[in-house]
Formats: sequence, C-alpha cells, structure tokens
Amino acid sequence: MSFLKRLKNVFSGEDEPEKKEEAVKSEKDKPSVEKKETKVQEKVEEVPAAEKPEKVEDKPAEEKTKEPVAAEKAETKKEEKPEKAEVEEPVKSKEEPKKERSESMTLLQKDEAIVTRADIDENFKQEIMDAGGESLGICFQCGTCTAACPSGRRTPYRIRQLVRRSLIGLKEDVIPDDTLWMCTTCYECQERCPRGIKIVDIVKIVRNYAAQAGYMGKAHKMVGSFVIKTGHGVPINPQTQELRKSVGLDELPPTTHSFPEALEEVQTIVKATGFDNLIGYNWETGAID
Amino acid sequence: MAEQEFAYFLGCIMNNRYPGIEKSTRLLFDALDVGLKDMEGASCCPAPGVFGSFDRTTWAAIAARNLTIAEEQGNDIMTECNGCFGSLFESNHMLHEDAEMKEKINKVLAEAGREFKGEIQVRHFAEILYNDVGMDKLAELVTNPLENLKVAVHYGCHFLKPSSEIGIDNPMKPTILDELVEVTGAQSIPYKDKMMCCGAGGGLRSRDLDVTADFTKEKLTNMREAGVDAIVNVCPFCHLQFDVGQVEVNEKFGTDFEIPVFHLAQLYGMAMGLPKEELTVDAHQICTDSALDKCYLDEITGGE
Repeated sequence: MSFLKRLKNVFSGEDEPEKKEEAVKSEKDKPSVEKKETKVQEKVEEVPAAEKPEKVEDKPAEEKTKEPVAAEKAETKKEEKPEKAEVEEPVKSKEEPKKERSESMTLLQKDEAIVTRADIDENFKQEIMDAGGESLGICFQCGTCTAACPSGRRTPYRIRQLVRRSLIGLKEDVIPDDTLWMCTTCYECQERCPRGIKIVDIVKIVRNYAAQAGYMGKAHKMVGSFVIKTGHGVPINPQTQELRKSVGLDELPPTTHSFPEALEEVQTIVKATGFDNLIGYNWETGAID
Repeated sequence: MAEQEFAYFLGCIMNNRYPGIEKSTRLLFDALDVGLKDMEGASCCPAPGVFGSFDRTTWAAIAARNLTIAEEQGNDIMTECNGCFGSLFESNHMLHEDAEMKEKINKVLAEAGREFKGEIQVRHFAEILYNDVGMDKLAELVTNPLENLKVAVHYGCHFLKPSSEIGIDNPMKPTILDELVEVTGAQSIPYKDKMMCCGAGGGLRSRDLDVTADFTKEKLTNMREAGVDAIVNVCPFCHLQFDVGQVEVNEKFGTDFEIPVFHLAQLYGMAMGLPKEELTVDAHQICTDSALDKCYLDEITGGE
C-alpha cells in the first residue's frame, strides 16, 4: 500500500483491522512526553553549552517566566492538545527515517540523558528534612500537587518536579530556577497530598537555600529593607495618615511607627540573625547594596 | 470593662493603607463589648512571602517578638489579616512543637531583651466572631440589613490552610465566612473556583505582577459571571489585591472590571448603618458606590 493511501486510511479510519490496531498502538506508544522530549533534543542542538537535558529543560522555563501568559499558551500547545499530537505523530514518524526517531528518545541515549553523581548534592535532601521538611522523603510522585496548583496552570512552575529534584539532590538545578518563586503558598497542593507532605514548608526551605546562594528578587529585598527601616513591610504614607486622622484614628498606628525603641528591637533581631547582611542592607544609607 | 479582651495585632496593610478596616473593627468590637488592647510597638508580622522565603529564623524571631508583646498582656492575639495570621499562628505553632527551634529563637530574642514563653493563642478575627461572639449576637447588631447585596466571598489561603494545623473549617468546602456574610442580610453567591488564591501571596505580587494579575483576572471573571455586586474578604492583602489589583488587571488586559471590595469588618460597619466615610470605602481604588447604593437608604426619598 502506498504511503499516501495508508495515511488516508489512518485519518478516515478505513484501515484493515490489523493495520488499524497497529496505528492505535503506535499512537499509544507515543505519549506527549515523547513529543516534549523531541523538543528538548532540538534545544540541545541549539544550545551547545548545555550538557544535560535537565538543565536544558530549565532554560526555556526561565525564559518563559518573563512572559507568563505567553508561557501558558506555549504549555498548552505542548501538553494539552493530545488529539493533535496523536494524529500528527504517526505521520511524522513515517516521514522520518527510523534512526532519527530513536535518537529523539532521550532515554535511549544513555550518554547524554544521564544525571550523574556529579550533579547530585548528597546532603541536600537531608538538609531540607532537618530544616523542617521531614516529610520530603516519603513523596511517591503521584502529581496530585501539580494538578492542584493554580500557579502551574499559568507558569512553568511544576511543584512535583521541584519536590523530585530536591529529593534527588539536584540542588544546583532547583535553586537558580525562577519558577521556584512562582508559588503563592496557597496550600492547595499540601491540602490534597495523599502522603501528607508539608509541601509549602519544603518550598520555603528550598527558597531559603536559594536566598543564601544570592538568588533574591530586588523587590523582595526592598520589602526586607522597609522592615529594617520602619518595622513595617508596607510603611505608612502621608495620604493614609490623613485618612487615619479623618476617621479619628491616631495619625500613626501604635506600632513600631510610634515606638522608636520597639523598632530598635526589630533591628537588633535582624542583626543577630544576619538578615541585614543576607539582603545587603546598608545601615548608613538605608539602601540595598 | 469588657468580659473578654484580645491583643489587637494590626500588621501593615490595614493600618497603613486601609484604615477604614481598623476603624470599623474598633467600632464593631465596642458594640460587641469585646475589648481590643493595642499591641504597642508591634511590627510587621513579618511578611511571610519575603521573610519566610529568605530566612525562616529571622521570620520566626520577628514573629516571636510580636507574640511576646501579647504574652506580656496575657491576651490571645486577634488579627484580621490572613498573612499576619499565617505568620503568627505558624511561628507560634512551630515554637510550641520544636524545642530546638524555640531555644534558637529565644537566643536571638534575648539580645532584644525578650523571651518567647508560648502562653497565648493566635486567632483570626472571623473565627472569633463565629465561635466566641456567635451569630445571634452579630444578628442583633444589624440595623441596616444588606438584603439587596450579592456577595462573592473570598476566603483567601491562610485563614483556613494548612487545615491540619489551623482546623477552623473544611478548607475545600467551608461555610464559616458565607454564614458570617449572610448574617448581615447579604447573599453569598457561589462562583467557580471560589477557593482559589487571589494571586498576591508568597511574595509573588512584588516579584512578578504579571502572574499575580493573571490569577486575579481569573477570579474576577468568575465572580462577574456569577453576577455579584461586591467582593468580601478577610485579609487586607487580598483586599488590596482585589482593589489595586483590579485596576492593574484592567490596565494589563484591557478589561473593565469594577467590582467593589469590602473587608468583612467594613461589611459589618455597613450593616450597622455606620456612615460610609468612617469605613473609608470612599478611598478605595475601585469605586464602591454601586454596592453602597444597594446598602444605604437614599436620604432624600427614604429609599422608596
């Protein structure tokens, strides 16, 4: 049977039973994961410096982060249109020589797709567990967390992946990744986790490591500096002072805003924990270095 | 003197941006004869998204300092911000459970001349109204029933979650806030993905406003489809996100959302017939008139 005729039959569903089975099988054998990996492979060629597909996957994720809405669209195209993928795939595979197809399966390319011991920080898992994320060790990767995540619906943030990579010890993979900061700590993942894992605590602990390594947003450092300067993450402003007065409240609330000695206590605390150094707070200028 | 008294934790956004929430809370608790004692010298809770994410020790130490102010008073804390509730409740809980952490934090606090003892509870405004004050007493205060008002109730995240520690209500299908809203005569309207986050938390609003706005847009779309007159929240940060964030959503996406936003304390102020100005609802970014018109009788015609 000619290629075109076979193709026509695949689409019209008029194939002989045997052939039809084959077609269905080839569809089944091609989950969207493979399509995704194909893309990853393509990227490998584009980015010669990248050595591991793990890293490569992160790279587009970072790029997407800047344009979350566009990223959402890209994600949808890639993962959420299985029908289109299934129809296209068998055709594509028949067009391509068999050799290339197997090359696109990264699992078969043992030399390139491997995460080696050199990538693993043996202590990372234990450090997270000791810092209050004890339950990290019992994750069985069901993915309920990612399914529940409102941030994952609009950004490349994948909480299941974050937990898995932390568990393996891919510290250098997890910490610089911008998506780590896409979690709103809404607890939807944690509430649904069948293992009762304190996922949000784990996210925060991993973020603590990211901050120690210098991965901190400028806006976040600014909030930190406001607390050091005034005791408030959102300090008072003249308009609100007026508004307070207009309803008979004291212009300044009875907080660190009204009690300088209380502010000194807060400042003593941030010096004692080293938070001022962490965010690069300059005590003389009140700015972030 | 009032039989019951709470240490009133203000936080940042309420007192420094939306003082009408603070004002209406003080008037409400006066009317209920429940005492609110100021926590003099309290600071930011501190902001869980930044402090919790950057350094848990600093986060717990600043939170613990706030807790010690209430311990000195011998009062449980009341806060009406989910973020403050999250920081204070969680750190209080952690220092209770984790002796090692408690020792570490107390070493830090000692430098500021303080010690965390673990003697008080941290409570949320809405939960106190529901459990301690009770519906009957609240219903007595309603002199201006808000019968024409259809409300989208927004629970926010840290009021009920993590539920295994907080245990106020079912985190998937709660009713506490709907009941507290409906006692005013207003109607709580169901809407799609009601329990979804507003998008502001975890430090996301300050770090990536586009993603936050995308969350908020989804919530606003679902609320509008349900045909509500107003959003009612129990968190000044969610409040800010729906008020200021609504303007941002309109700018970013070319939408025309105009849903008035009220904190539960302001809604009670309206139900008690307090003057609008006292609630500073006229200072919101999103004009509240369309909702207020359904709540306040027209002074000239008597509302007929």
